[in-house]
Amino acid sequence: MAGSSIARPLVALVLLGILAVTLAIAVGSAQVGVGRVLWVFAGGGSELDRTLILDLRLPRVLSAFAVGGLLAVAGALMQVLLRNPLADPYVLGLSGGAAVGALLAMLAGMAGLVVSGSAFAGAMLATLLVFGLAHGSGSWTPSRLLLTGVVVAAGWGALITLILAMTPAARLPGMLYWLMGDLSHSGQPRPGLLVLLLVCLLVLPLGRSLNVLARGSMQAAALGVSVRPLEWLVYLLASVLTATAVTMAGAVGFVGLVVPHMLRLLLGNDQRLILPACALAGGILLVLADTLARVVIAPEQLPVGVITALLGVPTFLYLLYRSR
Amino acid sequence: MIHRLTLLAAFLLAPLPVPAEALCARDALERDVCLPEPASRIVTLSPGATELLFSAGAGERVVGAGAWSDYPPEAEQLPRIGDSSRLDLEAILALQPDLMVAWVDGNSRQQVERLEQLGIKAFWLAPREFEDIPRALEHLSVLAGTSEVAELAAESFRAGIRELQDRYQSAEPIRVFYQIWDQPLMTINRDELIGKAIELCGGVNVFGHLPRLVPRISTEAVLEAAPQVIVTSGREQNDRAWLADWQTYPSLPAVAAGNLFLEPPDLLARPTVRMLEGVSHLCQTLETARGRL
Repeated sequence: MAGSSIARPLVALVLLGILAVTLAIAVGSAQVGVGRVLWVFAGGGSELDRTLILDLRLPRVLSAFAVGGLLAVAGALMQVLLRNPLADPYVLGLSGGAAVGALLAMLAGMAGLVVSGSAFAGAMLATLLVFGLAHGSGSWTPSRLLLTGVVVAAGWGALITLILAMTPAARLPGMLYWLMGDLSHSGQPRPGLLVLLLVCLLVLPLGRSLNVLARGSMQAAALGVSVRPLEWLVYLLASVLTATAVTMAGAVGFVGLVVPHMLRLLLGNDQRLILPACALAGGILLVLADTLARVVIAPEQLPVGVITALLGVPTFLYLLYRSR
Repeated sequence: MIHRLTLLAAFLLAPLPVPAEALCARDALERDVCLPEPASRIVTLSPGATELLFSAGAGERVVGAGAWSDYPPEAEQLPRIGDSSRLDLEAILALQPDLMVAWVDGNSRQQVERLEQLGIKAFWLAPREFEDIPRALEHLSVLAGTSEVAELAAESFRAGIRELQDRYQSAEPIRVFYQIWDQPLMTINRDELIGKAIELCGGVNVFGHLPRLVPRISTEAVLEAAPQVIVTSGREQNDRAWLADWQTYPSLPAVAAGNLFLEPPDLLARPTVRMLEGVSHLCQTLETARGRL
């Protein structure tokens, strides 16, 4: 594949990304015109405008971009790893583990960093649990990993239901918003953007090996790829990406499933292109979805997970229908 | 009251037979709930209902109460019949009550209907106005046969609200943001009882116009609404964390004036006679806030 045919779609996506971020910063429940937004970035503007734009909207929009990118790349990696088109970042129970961690913290009356921290801990625990169980003894296959993950995910699901059933009604909204995915308390975007960038830089050199792996482990091994270490590396990276995303915004659905598929249909299945494209397109999708979540019934708010699912379900169904 | 007098009259004029269903009260679902004789075994399905029955003088007739019924202190000793959203039907049946007091916003309609099919009468509460509280006291006391006590409680509640109305009707309007939760950030609109309390105290609820009873809003919307005072009950007693979070926006009028207040929990949250105390406290808080502007 020639360099320019990789570069061209990426340049287009970068431009789209800049557009989406600008739009997202310009609109919100408070009416701040584009002129005043530009004025704020030029260093002026009233104190209220500065707070609105710089302290509230900008971090949130960047967080949305980071979370979307993290989830889309994680989804693309999972689909390669499991060689299953239905794989998404949560299929192996990672979000379930994170949810149990976060909800337990909320049940104990905690908030903020403690909730994020225990969500991350839960996600990592889920990763190690599935890793340990699937590793076990005997032969290891992606389908064994998938089955282990799905069953562990079901277990997390049961624990989540149990926690919800034991929670006093007043605390339920916070938990449900977390489970649906919500960016209103995502905090600092920097760690997320950093993880996204680092992992992208780490996987890009692996693109060729991943392309071979996507065709099957036998073929990959025959072509000289050391399959087992590569698969575990991919699993670990996807887990770190997902854990970071879930820690920032809860379990935002469908981005990780739909974005890689859309891009494959548009751009072909070259991982060297698909992975960075996922980082950009996932970010763009979530930035736009979160903007809708903020303004559809403003000043009331919707959780962004609702919007991604509402956009994701018909898109995915359409793609499936067309690809028949 | 009137029903009881009719009953008395009927009893004096023609001792036999007593009318089959003589005690009737209309509940919040506009249904006439009738009992052949005053209820002697009552089950309350929410903490608010428990409090109302104790205020109506029927506390000793309550044989079971919903989870979190902690006021008055005697209520804590009552057998529990499950959380208001998930009633323990078996526990309720085992108590053999002749009346249950249900709450529209908390109890499951299906569960209560199931119990009604099994022969237990239900009286529904749906407090939307201050007047609904004394009215509920009166209606419940008809069914429990404790009208004298309830009448006094109802009248003193009405008088208290009237007094506050008189005192604050010409108070300087002040823009209020009432935070009931932080993640997600939630407030109340003007139809909620707390919203009515704010209005009664001469406050202007900055989100009063929103269509939903408990809207979920953004920090951005609060900054734009520029409230002059922020009030919350916190997550629990003396929890100032939510108020501290607002300190990061010094340009907010409420923060600039130091108008961040913690109200005692339960007093405003529960639609019971203690709400008068809660409203009075809120009015004083807003008065303090006015002084700092």
